Amino acid sequence: MTGTLTLARLEVLRVLRNKRYLLFTIGLPVVLYLMISRQGSGSTAYHVQFAAYYMVAMASIGAFSGALTGNAQRISQERKDGWIRQLRITALPASGYVTAKIIASMVTSVPSIVVVLALGRFYGDVHLAPWKWIAIALAIWLGSMTFASLAVAIGYRFMPDTVQPITMFVYLGMSVLGGLWFALGGTMQKIGQVLPTYQITRIGTDVISQGTIPMGRVAIILAWLAGFIVLAAWSVRSTVEKI
Amino acid sequence: MVIFVHRPVRAGTMRKGTVMTQRGTGRSGAPVVSFEQVSKVYGHVRAVDGLSLDLRQGETVAFLGPNGAGKSTSLDMLLALRKPTSGRIRVFDADPYAGVKSGRIGAMLQSGGLMTTVTVRELVGLAAKVHPRPLPVDETLKRAGIADIADRRVDKLSGGQTQRVRFALAIVGDSDLIVLDEPTAAMDVESRQMFWANMHAEVAEGRTLLFATHYLEEADQAADRVLVINKGRLLADGTPAEIKQRAGAKRISFRLDAVDEAFLLGLPALVNLEIRRDLIHLQSSDSDRTLYALLDAGYRPHEIEVSSLGLEQAFLAITAEDDKKAAVDEREKETVR
Repeated sequence: MTGTLTLARLEVLRVLRNKRYLLFTIGLPVVLYLMISRQGSGSTAYHVQFAAYYMVAMASIGAFSGALTGNAQRISQERKDGWIRQLRITALPASGYVTAKIIASMVTSVPSIVVVLALGRFYGDVHLAPWKWIAIALAIWLGSMTFASLAVAIGYRFMPDTVQPITMFVYLGMSVLGGLWFALGGTMQKIGQVLPTYQITRIGTDVISQGTIPMGRVAIILAWLAGFIVLAAWSVRSTVEKI
Repeated sequence: MVIFVHRPVRAGTMRKGTVMTQRGTGRSGAPVVSFEQVSKVYGHVRAVDGLSLDLRQGETVAFLGPNGAGKSTSLDMLLALRKPTSGRIRVFDADPYAGVKSGRIGAMLQSGGLMTTVTVRELVGLAAKVHPRPLPVDETLKRAGIADIADRRVDKLSGGQTQRVRFALAIVGDSDLIVLDEPTAAMDVESRQMFWANMHAEVAEGRTLLFATHYLEEADQAADRVLVINKGRLLADGTPAEIKQRAGAKRISFRLDAVDEAFLLGLPALVNLEIRRDLIHLQSSDSDRTLYALLDAGYRPHEIEVSSLGLEQAFLAITAEDDKKAAVDEREKETVR
């Protein structure tokens, strides 16, 4: 386990050294929040004040885009470069690489969640009970694991130049249809509500408006997580001789 | 004409002057590595075809063969990166995966990439943490000759430096078997010499070394045993001197106007014959005997040249003959059909 943890620690360092990553996971949500959260003041979305909805949405988008796009690209590139191959001929356990990637992804999604929630509190004037802050942060944080698993599935299966458009397509679909750019209504909402991104945001807004954790929504996210884990395991296994 | 006898020659099992330590073997006498009738098939291609070999503790063995001979595939299977289609590989009396994960094998692949955006020291430190019996990181950096670039970023290194970092990953722990695939590719002459100086220090501690190489003089100088492989099969197994001798140690060239091919084929110690009109090239395992027989028969060739074959020519002769034989077999098959 020490080997896997050392690898995870190094992965975190690499992510923090990558300015582009920080720009997308922290910079983009922060700038959007500063620009847009006050424009909707007075209105509501998903039964909460707009600044609160937008805080949850921006924290989700930072965490999920970091887990998905950064990881998928890196994994694919490292497979192509032979780094995964190199690790396989060391004493690192076979699962070590993927485990380290997911741990690192979970660690590096923390700053974007914390920064956006703090912005919501101090800039968006969102006031909540302490347990609600924790519940929202945890929902987004654990929800981002879904996309770390998807990133493993994509990164192992496709070459880097194919990964780029695939993750962009998934990113746009999941974020727009999941209601992260704007709150959904009508038909869009009926389509969007099957997506994990939508459900992560709605757990946040439900916690704020109802004060309970909606277990139905948690179940949908867990189903996606299970599906992506199966997909990831299949990707890893079916490329085992092609590494 | 049969050129090469498929009789493995057992080389000395130990380098001269090495201190024998009790490392390497699972139970006493068991080989460090054994391939038993190992084959690997991709679609219609037999990359490795019934390969059998044993490596003993303390040997430095060169794996020699042209591109596509099955060297890398064999090493991949030895390192548990690929599974044999049939046959069995044992490493330290266990399966290759167990050998790799126990840290008893330190390996360097041609295709092994490195982690980017980290420093050399961070990367070697990671490898040391992963290894069950690591050496101190500074020691590894020194042994691999990369102490001076320890704080440079891995992705900003030259080809030769990258290769040395890969080597560092192979010797980061106290492994019993070191496997290197084309270790000195991309190195300049100076780094290559330094590399082998370091490598000799590693194997002097009783380690077993298996390396694949394109540089034949490297196999000649560094190895005490050479395995020649072509089309996935083992063609020769012996010391560099034995390999050279088996392939015909001397090359005799001369001009002869009236050529009697049947007579030339009957010459003693003949290993290979090539006739281009009046120009004859032949390889012989005993050039004196071959030449005397020719002269005794009354022939008076002119422009006689006798030269030694390097391992490179020996190797080419061995693989060329194998290719020729394969072509003949193929034609025979066609005829039968």
